[in-house]
Amino acid sequence: MAMVSAATPGPKPSQTRRPGERPHDAVSTRVVLAMQGVTKSYPNGRVALRGVDLIVPEGDFVFLVGPSGAGKSTVIKLLIRDEVPTKGVVLLDGRDLARLKRRDVPRIRRKIGIVFQDFKLLPNKTVRDNVAFALEVTGARRRDIDPAVDRVLQVVGLTGQANQLPGQLSGGEQQRTAIARALVHNPRLFIADEPTGNLDPLISWEIIQLLLRINDLGVTVLMATHNAEVVTAVRKRVVALENGRIVRDQTGAAYHRED
Amino acid sequence: MISFVAFSLRRAWQGFWRNGLMSLAATATVVLMLALLAGLIILLTGLDATLDYVQQEVQVVAYVKDSATAQDISGLEASLQRMPQVTQVNFVSKDQAYRDFLARHPDEADVIESLPTNPLPASLQINLRDPNDYLDVAGYLNGQPAVDRVMNIQQTVDQLVTVIGILRIGGTVILIVVGLIVLFTIVNTIRLAVVARADEIEIMRLVGASDAFIRWPFIFEGAFVGLLGAAITIGLLFLGQGPITSFLSDYFKVLPVEASATVGQNVTLIVLGAGAGIGVLGSYLSVRSYLIR
Repeated sequence: MAMVSAATPGPKPSQTRRPGERPHDAVSTRVVLAMQGVTKSYPNGRVALRGVDLIVPEGDFVFLVGPSGAGKSTVIKLLIRDEVPTKGVVLLDGRDLARLKRRDVPRIRRKIGIVFQDFKLLPNKTVRDNVAFALEVTGARRRDIDPAVDRVLQVVGLTGQANQLPGQLSGGEQQRTAIARALVHNPRLFIADEPTGNLDPLISWEIIQLLLRINDLGVTVLMATHNAEVVTAVRKRVVALENGRIVRDQTGAAYHRED
Repeated sequence: MISFVAFSLRRAWQGFWRNGLMSLAATATVVLMLALLAGLIILLTGLDATLDYVQQEVQVVAYVKDSATAQDISGLEASLQRMPQVTQVNFVSKDQAYRDFLARHPDEADVIESLPTNPLPASLQINLRDPNDYLDVAGYLNGQPAVDRVMNIQQTVDQLVTVIGILRIGGTVILIVVGLIVLFTIVNTIRLAVVARADEIEIMRLVGASDAFIRWPFIFEGAFVGLLGAAITIGLLFLGQGPITSFLSDYFKVLPVEASATVGQNVTLIVLGAGAGIGVLGSYLSVRSYLIR
């Protein structure tokens, strides 16, 4: 319930790192995500990842960059366990995803909040109901749902639009609804897959600011993006993939689009 | 557990109403298909009753010698009654045969009345349980001293048995084919309704809904569509009961009157069972393809 305490005004949780601090140096922090020697080849013979090692400590903010086909999507598919690695290990919060029993997969997915560039909202549900949906379908008790939804809507700044339908919202508001939905489970890892892909630059900045704020609240964030401007300006850790390999892993790096 | 069922039912109900057009299309398809199935079953029930009746009408007619005594005849009648193949034995006396002839051919009354004696023989008319038993009974009768001769209807019996067999097999084949068409059409319609909501299923998977939470609302919804379709079909059949009954008794003149109640009950049960069963099956199969990855 880290989100719950974090969302209320007050001192920041102690595990929050100060900006610019290198995650690898933080000895005491726990590891949220660890990939070791991960290779993924698909049945059609395409090799999407080749021996990828990646450690993401708790509270980190990581940009995952690289040209199309570099393996960003595959990394995300492995994290949400839509795929399992051909070789190597993916540990999420200390659990080996490949060894999960089928019935434990939904439980591990609740530790992940994910947003996409196409928002994936249900058009016939209000903002509030879209967010509440994530709790309803995971069997949350009804009396717990409303307060939790209120809290995340406050975090993303949509309290006023709670009863509107997605079609009545701007793109940025729709993405913030999706972010609220992804946060409502208090995820250990927040994944944003090209979250600004459908948004104009100004709105994109709002979304980035929101993700940074969520990170400040103690949530580990992994953002896959093409948006070089944002990556360069924000000065966070940048992991660059190319041809299924990590070619760069730096904090505060600039990023030039190569594709 | 109770809250899970309540959740699934609520979601199924919402799912049905929020996707109004899809639900309407699915329900309409279910109604049409079940009506087709019910109509066919009613028709085949009528056909079956007719065939049963025709079969029972196959009679072995044995002409009795004029010299046979009343004792011979009643002995023969009793032994025929004891045969398992025989359902009924009627004795037609010479006088009765004479009266029957006059009744049937009033124009030729002069001819027969001009004869000095009654030329018509007495006969035993034996109804069979199954026309295939014709030879057994005919053979037995031929060996009896009181019997003059047995009318040979072997060819007629053979043809009748063949035709009835073809009709019964044909009816069963048509029922199976239509049943499969109904099954596939309903399953496919429900699949379309589920595919239209693939996004919803994807979101549920992404936010960590367990398979049961994804599956059961759809299964309840499928059952609901099936039952609603079945109820509408039964309502339509009930409204059409009068015309259907009169059609059946006109067309298959022999259908016993009390059968229509039983037929109605059977059809109701089959329609309800098929509607709910296929609805559930359709949802289960459709959702399954999204869950197994």
